[in-house]
Parts: sequence; C-alpha cells; structure tokens
Amino acid sequence: MNEFIEECRREWRRLGVPDPIANEMAADLSADIEEAKSEGGSAEDVLGNSAFDPRRFAGSWAVARGVTAPPAPTPSHRRWPVLTFGLLGCAALLALVGAVLVGGRQSASAVSRVGRIVGGPRSIRMFRGSPIVLQHVEQFPGVALFALFLLVVGVVGIGLAVLYGFRWSGGRIGPWEVRRYRGRSGDPRT
Amino acid sequence: MGEADTRRSQLLRGVLDICLLAVMSEGPAYGYEMTKRLRARGLSTVGEGSIYPLLGRLERDGLVETRRAASNGGPPRKYYSLSPAGEGALEAGRREWQMARDAVDGALDLVTSEVRP
Repeated sequence: MNEFIEECRREWRRLGVPDPIANEMAADLSADIEEAKSEGGSAEDVLGNSAFDPRRFAGSWAVARGVTAPPAPTPSHRRWPVLTFGLLGCAALLALVGAVLVGGRQSASAVSRVGRIVGGPRSIRMFRGSPIVLQHVEQFPGVALFALFLLVVGVVGIGLAVLYGFRWSGGRIGPWEVRRYRGRSGDPRT
Repeated sequence: MGEADTRRSQLLRGVLDICLLAVMSEGPAYGYEMTKRLRARGLSTVGEGSIYPLLGRLERDGLVETRRAASNGGPPRKYYSLSPAGEGALEAGRREWQMARDAVDGALDLVTSEVRP
C-alpha cells in the first residue's frame, strides 16, 4: 500500500498540490489504511474501488479540497457551439450566393428569351433590378459552374454543421433523439 | 460487484454527504472512523469511490470543521466535526431525502398494486 500512497504523492506533485497539504493527506490516508489492516481489513475497506486507481483517487481528492484546479474541459467541448454556428453561417452564405447566381442566370436566360421576343434588352431591365450582375453572369459561362459549385458546397456545409452540432450537443437535440427514445425497450410508444 | 450492489452504491452516492454529516453529528471523527460508523448502520458499500474526496468538498464548502489530534495510541489524525453551516445542510438534506423517499415509496406502491393479481 506504500506504493499506492507514493503514486498519490506523485500525482499530487504533478498537479501542483502544495507539499504541506500533500503530506497531510498522505499521513491521514496511511494512518487509516494501517488501522484497517490492524483490524484484519484491507485498503479496499478504506478506499473502495479507488484502491485500484491511485491517480484518479488522488486527483479527485485534491480537486474536492480545492487545492488544485479541476481539469479544463477539452477545447472541442467548449468551442462546439462557436464552430457549429460559424460553419453553419459560412455554409449558408455560400449556398445563398450560389443560389442567387444560379437563380439569376436562369432568370436572365428566361428574361433574355422573353426580351428577344418582346423587344430587346430594355425588357430585361424592366424585369430585373440588377442588370449588371446578370450581364456578368451572361458574359462569363464559367460563373454558372462556379455558382453551382458554391451552392453544392454550401448545402453540404449546412448538413455537416448540423451533424457536427448534434454530435457535440450530446444528442440532446434533433429528431434522432426522439427515435432513440422510442426505440428503448419498455417504452409504451414503441 | 453484483447488480444489487451497484444499484445500492449508486443510491448511496447521492446521499453520502448527508450520511457523513449525520455520523459527524454524533461526535468528531476521522476518515476511517466515519467509514466504520457508516458500516455499523448498514452502509457497508462505500462503492466506487471513497469518502475522502467528499470530506474534502465538505471542508472546502465550510460544512465541516477540522482539527488535528492524537488518536488512541496512533498517529495524529484529522478529526472532522459539523460546522453551523453543516448542521443546516444536514437538516436540509434530511428534508430532501424524506421527500425523495416518500415519492419513491409512492411510485413503488403503485407498481406493486398494478402487478398484483
């Protein structure tokens, strides 16, 4: 059991627990374990299952006493809302730009066809508020492809953002949670 | 650990702090002495953890007072006793447990009457 206490000491040193406090905790622990042994018991009588995990035991004791800071949450847990909404915003912007350009090109083509029938470019200006944008779309055929690319990337990004957010929220939101709940045995709704 | 022990351990974990305050109210005690007092009342399953982190939290929260004193023929020990705030927490804990126990008792009685032939 000395090995257990030594392991605790190493953990307290690693966590930056002041020596006087670490010595006090080690002395209390040692005395209690010795007493349990003298009564025919074992370290488990004192420590429970913690007897098999000295580092975890030492850490939780030090944190509970307030002599060391609790382990910081992992950045991914702390930042998931920011990342999710950031990704969602960017993806939505891309999808919006792509949709406007794709929609604009289709409108321009349609309006252009109508314009040719009813009297030329002035008709286009009658139908659309942004003739400059439409002119660019019409003049550069590659823009259509680029617009489609933006739209696809945006839609995929929105999907990924939703999945990412659902995963890090612990499954507390979304339709999957409902399905999982309904799938439990014993649930009257199954 | 069997299923019954696991359930018992989980139930105890939620009220172990109140139980510790209760055994402390009988008089100052050091760590292992409190374990023995709990065991004498049938709470033998300390379970997955131990009482030391819990005692540390009670001390940090000001619910217990500590002093170091010699034990019977052994090395000096850290004795824990209830602080005034701890006495209040014990009373509040007793009320909470009473309400929880009544609610569970009610639910279990309902289940028993439903399955009874």
